[in-house]
Amino acid sequence: MRRLCVFEDEKYCNLYPLTFLRPVFELKCGCTSLLDKILSNYKGTEVCFFVRDYLSPTFKKKFPTAPINDLGILGNSDLLLINGRWLVVDSAVEPDGPEEVGLCDGDVVYARVSQKTAASCSADNIQTFLEQIKSKIKTRSVSADLISYPWDLINHNGKIIEQDFNSLGKSGIEGKFSSFSTVYGEQDLVWVAQSAEIQPFVVIDTTHGPVIIDEGATIFPYSRIEGPSYIGRETYIYGANVREGTAIGPMCRIGGEVEESIIHGYTNKYHEGFLGHSYLAEWINLGALTTNSDLKNDYSQVQVYIKGALTDSNETKVGCYIGDHTKTSIGTFFNTGTVVGIMCNLVGSGGILPKFVPSFVWFLNNRFYKGYGFNAMLNTARAVMARRNRSLSDEDVELMRFIHTLTKEERQTALKKGRKT
Amino acid sequence: MTSIEERVKKVVSRLLGVNESQIADDSDFVRDLGAESIQSIELVAAFEEEFDIEMDEEAALQVKTVGKAVEFVKKDIAEQH
Repeated sequence: MRRLCVFEDEKYCNLYPLTFLRPVFELKCGCTSLLDKILSNYKGTEVCFFVRDYLSPTFKKKFPTAPINDLGILGNSDLLLINGRWLVVDSAVEPDGPEEVGLCDGDVVYARVSQKTAASCSADNIQTFLEQIKSKIKTRSVSADLISYPWDLINHNGKIIEQDFNSLGKSGIEGKFSSFSTVYGEQDLVWVAQSAEIQPFVVIDTTHGPVIIDEGATIFPYSRIEGPSYIGRETYIYGANVREGTAIGPMCRIGGEVEESIIHGYTNKYHEGFLGHSYLAEWINLGALTTNSDLKNDYSQVQVYIKGALTDSNETKVGCYIGDHTKTSIGTFFNTGTVVGIMCNLVGSGGILPKFVPSFVWFLNNRFYKGYGFNAMLNTARAVMARRNRSLSDEDVELMRFIHTLTKEERQTALKKGRKT
Repeated sequence: MTSIEERVKKVVSRLLGVNESQIADDSDFVRDLGAESIQSIELVAAFEEEFDIEMDEEAALQVKTVGKAVEFVKKDIAEQH
């Protein structure tokens, strides 16, 4: 039987800080992750993974029986290698067929490889293995949605929620639905899960797409959910205006206005404030009135810091991308296309934050600070996670320590910029 | 030449808005001088700037009094200059 092999290529760093603590294929688009979509196309297939070495201990806990970064097994069976950045929906490649490498703009999208060819390669990492495969078997130019930048996830999100809704094959009200609430638009474009609850004075607007309210979610009074949108498991929506193209959850607490955004999970934005065209990772807390710009006043295209350099997004609507465990104070304002690292503490001081905030810093009174230090940040993370019955594992801590070292230089640069001496 | 003690007190005075004459060696940053938690972050950065040193933020934030801060700064100056 052909083995499925999901790999990260070298473009994972285009998606920093979202990929600091997770492989690129664990990023979400629509209701599920890129990996969930890949795996759902190849149910029952043995799978192995290739991720950055430093992610291996934490990722292993999620797939304890799957080989991870084990080059030795590649020569043992026929392979179907899939790029973890591929947003696979119903366009997955057939597992069986002739040997072939699918390329999109030079990037390997997939490779169907015989055991014999795989065994003939001698590589010391997956990138070299792929290079050798490319030189040995036929390549074909294919069209594929490869996620190259954070805004790609946002741009696809609404369409993918619609496709996920269709794949789900469920619709209707299975949970509690107050008689004082309403579905505006087609009734069969809603699925309210059995343990979900829609409280009074909620409008679910399906005129532009489906709305999925997953198990255990609660929509509190005076909320409006506009499709296509996904409200994840055990997420609470507090009188929020959730606009089209938004996927939230699980276990988030959301208020204010959210538009065309992905909130990965375990993140709180309880209060008023606008979030648009943004991706929030896990365990983030946005203080009341935290707001981001997603459109420049001159309607020009937004530039975003990618790998330390301003990069043209070729988009006019770009919000902010915020790494895990970052917190903002009341009244924090993000500029259009802002990138914030992990474990930051940002205090709004009336102005707009810099467009790039390195990981593990404080920002206060318009300058960067070291904050309370790495161990204090871990203690805060532990306190936050305990509130949702989660904990930091030793592997999580080691990963964060690694990222702390990895990001030291950019942090030092930012800290020095604020110093007078 | 201004002593390290005087320079520490000037920094504390400027950041916390307290008259230098009210700052003693045994003044507690929080209890006596009214420092908010956020200001302790600013104090560490201000000492680093004033004395051109790098302070271990976790150790520095354990310092409770002005006198202990002077000792901490002196130790870092001796090690780093």
